[in-house]
Amino acid sequence: MTTDPFVLPRYFALAVKNLRRRMVRTVLTVAGVALAVTVAVSLGGFMLGYRGAIDKSIDMLGFQIMIMAKGCPYEAATMMLKGGTGLLYLPADIYDKVRNDTDIESITPIFVGVAAKQGSGIRDDAGEKNFLIISGIEVPSYKVMKPWMQFKKGAGYDGGRWFGDSSRGEVVLGFEAAEYEQRKVGDTFYASITPAGKTEAVMHTFKVVGVLDRTGTQDDGTVFLPIDEARGYFGRMGELTILGIKLKEFNAFKMGAFESRWLKLPEVQVVGLQQVKSTLVGLVATAQTMIAAVAVIAIIVAFIGVINTILMSVYERTSEIGIMKALGARRDSIFQLIWLETVMICLAGAVVGSALAVVGSAVVERAIKSVVNMGVSGSIVLITPAVVGWAVLGAVVLGFFAGLYPAWRAAGMRPVEAIHKGN
Amino acid sequence: MLIEGFGLKRYYQRGSETVKALDGVDIAIDAGEIVAILGPSGSGKTTLINLLSCLDAPTEGTLTVAGKSVAGLSEDELVEVRRGVLGFVFQDFSLLPTLTVTENVELPLLFLGLKAEASRTAAILEAVGLTDRAGHLPRELSGGQMQRVAIARALISGPKILVADEPTGNLDKKTGEAIIALFKKLAREEGLAILLTTHNTVFGEQADRTIVLEDGRVVWES
Repeated sequence: MTTDPFVLPRYFALAVKNLRRRMVRTVLTVAGVALAVTVAVSLGGFMLGYRGAIDKSIDMLGFQIMIMAKGCPYEAATMMLKGGTGLLYLPADIYDKVRNDTDIESITPIFVGVAAKQGSGIRDDAGEKNFLIISGIEVPSYKVMKPWMQFKKGAGYDGGRWFGDSSRGEVVLGFEAAEYEQRKVGDTFYASITPAGKTEAVMHTFKVVGVLDRTGTQDDGTVFLPIDEARGYFGRMGELTILGIKLKEFNAFKMGAFESRWLKLPEVQVVGLQQVKSTLVGLVATAQTMIAAVAVIAIIVAFIGVINTILMSVYERTSEIGIMKALGARRDSIFQLIWLETVMICLAGAVVGSALAVVGSAVVERAIKSVVNMGVSGSIVLITPAVVGWAVLGAVVLGFFAGLYPAWRAAGMRPVEAIHKGN
Repeated sequence: MLIEGFGLKRYYQRGSETVKALDGVDIAIDAGEIVAILGPSGSGKTTLINLLSCLDAPTEGTLTVAGKSVAGLSEDELVEVRRGVLGFVFQDFSLLPTLTVTENVELPLLFLGLKAEASRTAAILEAVGLTDRAGHLPRELSGGQMQRVAIARALISGPKILVADEPTGNLDKKTGEAIIALFKKLAREEGLAILLTTHNTVFGEQADRTIVLEDGRVVWES
């Protein structure tokens, strides 16, 4: 007889057969591990995805700094990202004061207003479905900030273009705004706008001159108008909402210097978008901590469950373990067998849990978004192979430690006592 | 001699009482010999067989198995003596219920780190008359067939000594006789030393030698 160099697969096969012996118990234990892994992977995916979504949303604003009216800077920044009401306005001459700053590479003025969608009334507390965001922009400088913006192509969309600065009654629709309103190039578009200081909304009719391709940002849900025309409809001539600014050289020193130069203006605040990013991430940190706590509890419960299952299995097989030792199994053979069973349970749980998390990530995302408006566009749950890899590795480590005690107990049994006890 | 024991004692402590399970037994077993150990329950049969098969260590006395002195060895050291030298057959067969006949028979090879060779397994199954049951699970076999599987499992690693604790205890008379006949054949043809315990004096009479125990002492030896 010759030595077998491939003995591990035979231990593996034996472990599988042992686990299949109590199928319900094994499945329940795997389910416990899978649940913990699902929570952990979802949490990891959420942390990664949310940061990514914030980065993308803010990067896709196109500018590094915003100058806006004094107020809560984060509320204002969030509003820029997710839309909303209660906007504050700046005097438009700020634009003329700031634009000549030598550190500025590009600057664009933006006027944001909220209009009622066709057939619905304006309500300050309305849900997002009832209003639409009107962005008054200066096309040349806006395009410099967002060079990735393209017009949608295809039947009904060809020939899309920006409006001229002096044109009237023309709008460009973001991808989702066009889809929601079911509008194509050349269609008529209606919006009810209540001018400042008035109580009655005025219905305006526009011609859609272009529909933008999807950008994955709030621009997708925005209706673009020439800035002066928009100001006119909202009765806010000589006002604007923000100035978007890109610096020639963007670093903490330049940002600080720029901020101190323009904070002297009494009515403005200068907000760096890096700052906004970290604040928005911080906003969900509490929720993430709570989910992490749930994940930790789930992992502890799964850990105890695995130990319990394997201990029960060892106890039930006391006689068998004694027989195996009588047949020539060394301490390490028994340890290896029991430990392998534990790791296999955890590995199976990791695979099932990861698959559940991947498949269920869309559901999780919908659930999160239904509870809280995250202030970002696009996917907020991003389950990457690395996240899954870490979860699987974590489960194997869990199995490693969970299996130690039962395997040690089994390996330490004396055959005579084990056979006697089992019988 | 494959097994030689002198003055073997095995004492247990039960509370304040010392139980003398084996109290000074001398024994010697040679290759190709069948030795039957008889005696009533509690006479020390299983204790003696556990010592001689290195599953347990004597409290006192000297014991040599296959040329190795085993007195005072730890469990880890005893297992090294057992490996490949001793084959076991238990009264309740002790087959793993999830493994097929072939897998059960080849199980000791896994623990010995040896490759299972289909031809050898087939030859052993043929020797015990189970060729047509190779793929069956234990629950699909009769008691006699299960005991034959246990014997095949004990033989697969080519041991020098076969230890059988009440191998016919759970079998009917006819099947028990067939198992004893198989033992005799193995001792004759393979030169195996076979050590068995039994309550059945008829089976005991068929052994080369019979040792009768009572209260941990040898009271009669043929």
